[in-house]
Amino acid sequence: MKTSTKERVFLVLKYVILIFFTILCLYPLLWLFLSSFKTNSELYSNPWGLPESFSLANYIQAITEGHILQYFGNSVIIAVSAVVIAVLLSSMVSYAIMRMQWKLSKVALQVFLLGMMIPVYAMIVPLFSMFNKMHLLNTHLAVIIPHIGISFPMAIFIMSGFMGALPKEMEEAAVMDGCNIYQIFFKIIMPISQSSIVTVAVVTFINIWNDLLLPQIFLTDSSKMTLPVGLTEFQGQYTTNYVVEIAAVIITIIPSIIVYIWLHKHIMEGMVAGAVKG
Amino acid sequence: MNKVLGNKKSIAVFVLPAFIIYAIFVLVPIGYNIYVSFLQTDLMSPSKFVGVKNYINLFKDKTFTGALRNNILMVIGSLIAHLPLALLFGNILFQKIKGSHFFQTVFFLPSVICGVAVGLTWTFVYNSEFGLINKFLEIIGLESLQHVWLADKNLALFCIIVVVMWQFVGYHMVIQIAAMKNIPLSYYEAAEIDGASKWVQFKSITFPLIKPILKVDAVLIITGSLKYYDLVAVMTGGGPNHATELMSTYMFYQGFRTLKYGYSAAIGVILLILCMCSVLLSNFVFRTEQVEF
Repeated sequence: MKTSTKERVFLVLKYVILIFFTILCLYPLLWLFLSSFKTNSELYSNPWGLPESFSLANYIQAITEGHILQYFGNSVIIAVSAVVIAVLLSSMVSYAIMRMQWKLSKVALQVFLLGMMIPVYAMIVPLFSMFNKMHLLNTHLAVIIPHIGISFPMAIFIMSGFMGALPKEMEEAAVMDGCNIYQIFFKIIMPISQSSIVTVAVVTFINIWNDLLLPQIFLTDSSKMTLPVGLTEFQGQYTTNYVVEIAAVIITIIPSIIVYIWLHKHIMEGMVAGAVKG
Repeated sequence: MNKVLGNKKSIAVFVLPAFIIYAIFVLVPIGYNIYVSFLQTDLMSPSKFVGVKNYINLFKDKTFTGALRNNILMVIGSLIAHLPLALLFGNILFQKIKGSHFFQTVFFLPSVICGVAVGLTWTFVYNSEFGLINKFLEIIGLESLQHVWLADKNLALFCIIVVVMWQFVGYHMVIQIAAMKNIPLSYYEAAEIDGASKWVQFKSITFPLIKPILKVDAVLIITGSLKYYDLVAVMTGGGPNHATELMSTYMFYQGFRTLKYGYSAAIGVILLILCMCSVLLSNFVFRTEQVEF
């Protein structure tokens, strides 16, 4: 089939649009990356070009004076523990709702899914008051627990969709072989649900990793802060020395980009799952 | 079989841990929040029941009505970027074009990056002295258009809306492409044989068939825009002089800066009502137009 001139013009136009937006997406990040190696005066005099030398001075200052690694560690502790508990508990609930036989299973599903439309702002003040009374304020638990609760609706939504579609025969065979319910769940159901578990884990992780509001409200000690809050603290500290702040932003972004390149299929699938299936 | 799957004790073991956490830390706080919104309280000294006074004061509060207006502008800006623009990108990438997967991955990237980092990145881009935008205007000789972008109370909100557009257009594009992939290819093959142009194919096949998803997406955009917090908190902190205040940032300010928790809780209730309304509205519209392939 011969392509007409008109079609070829359209194709070029399409690529122009796509490449333009690609540049728009990537250039600010690339510019920031290059700027992170510059000195402060270089940033003003030469904002476009390459840095004179790729010196790591800004990164070293961000790590030693800005405590960025400490924030990083706190973020890891909070995100990992919340994700592990959220994934385990939500897969158990999803299994119970979709495969076990009890009267209220559909009601329970509705109650959990209801949470998808609830903004976190509608519970932040009471949570603050509760954690205050429980003496949990300024502990990592005060951030981990609400994050687990908030993640249930989406996690259960994705996982119950997957588990509902599994064939019944597997469980029947397992019961014949004398497996109890825990063996069925941990040895059969969890392994075959691996793909949806990874999806849920990755999406929950991103949400928690990126969150600013909860740690900002529930934590007060700088030594317990997560990366996003830590970054905002840089803003006040280094109002004139921008390059250190830029280096800190890069340290925050790099892991996200690496994980994204590695798992982008799961991430894209998981983040749009709620919309497409709902 | 039924004995194993219907065992009351094991059902409790599977359901209760999650349900207890969910009930105590999600459901109860929502109810409690509605109660707090009728109080005048700093959570320490004895609180006073004031009925709907917090709500009445909110709508008399110029900053709150300003925040509401900003949220509505945010919704409109996001709808413009995330429906037509995302649909344009989505439609281009859905047709078998070389590099489609690469472009999708790149466009989606900003929505994965932490909002604080995105906000800071753009504060540097908007910076009046070394920022990309002012430097670019200098190069093309339009110095007269240079501004102190984020400190200008007429421009700051617009600048932030641009960042929201930039960050999430790829996310909504991927949602729309996923919807397009569900359309049977035979429809397009038939249209191709009938000699329908790409535009006609889009207008009479793609668009009508992804309409239900577009409605869901519109709800996501609206509820998402009501919930934005990070970008404003980082880029302007609601300033200059409350010009970019959103309901979320104003709620944070009233609750955790001036310690008016009742007032703050009332803003939370209003946000909850707005989110629920847009979801319920969409469910209503969505049910009436179920498409079967």
